[in-house]
Amino acid sequence: MADKAAAIIAGLGGADNIIDIEPCATRLRTEVRDPSKVDTAALKTAGAYGVLAAGTVVQVVVGPEADNLASDIEDLLE
Amino acid sequence: MTAEAADPAGRAVLDVLAPVTGRVLPLAEVPDPVFSAAMVGPGLAVAPALAPGAAVAPVTGRIVTLHPHAFVIEADPGRGVLVHLGLDTVQLKGAGFTLLAAAGDVVTAGQPVVEWDPAGVIAGGRSAACPVIALDSAESALADLAVGTVTAGTLLFRWT
Repeated sequence: MADKAAAIIAGLGGADNIIDIEPCATRLRTEVRDPSKVDTAALKTAGAYGVLAAGTVVQVVVGPEADNLASDIEDLLE
Repeated sequence: MTAEAADPAGRAVLDVLAPVTGRVLPLAEVPDPVFSAAMVGPGLAVAPALAPGAAVAPVTGRIVTLHPHAFVIEADPGRGVLVHLGLDTVQLKGAGFTLLAAAGDVVTAGQPVVEWDPAGVIAGGRSAACPVIALDSAESALADLAVGTVTAGTLLFRWT
């Protein structure tokens, strides 16, 4: 899981690009500084079912493990 | 343990019950891109009757994920059913929802899990539609899909 968290951080353009990350039942709702740094293909390789981007709000659909992944990501970002 | 769990190789058909009373909607009609595209799995949604009440467990199993507005019950390894109470309801941060069970609990199909008020969700400008998802499954694995209206605790679809 920690590897997956690291891969998702990378896919979102790295820790510095992530402003906020919040889990919901099926997805990680994230806000990024620069949406052009988000790599959808890399996020899918990391295990995302899909990626929904609208401006700086990027939703990474990861299924119900969103909770655990968000905790792991927050651990890595600290 | 259920009979299904005891027989992972040739698992029994899993009856998935409606968590709420209301009108059955195809997922394609749910105004949320993740559910309407069945990204996390196929299923059906229920547009709930606008009366306060409890959402019930769609299957017998363990609550593996529990939010105020959504929960996942794992009937057996690899067969988890997600119930999402309204759309974008994560934004309510639990307001209007009362948990009647805890994460890790084993619940019986039909047992109340969360109390909520669909009319309150709609009053907040959100959809109260409740997607019920056979996680990581395929459309072809679902059978006997309900149409019209359903009562909480009665069959919504079968997961074969």
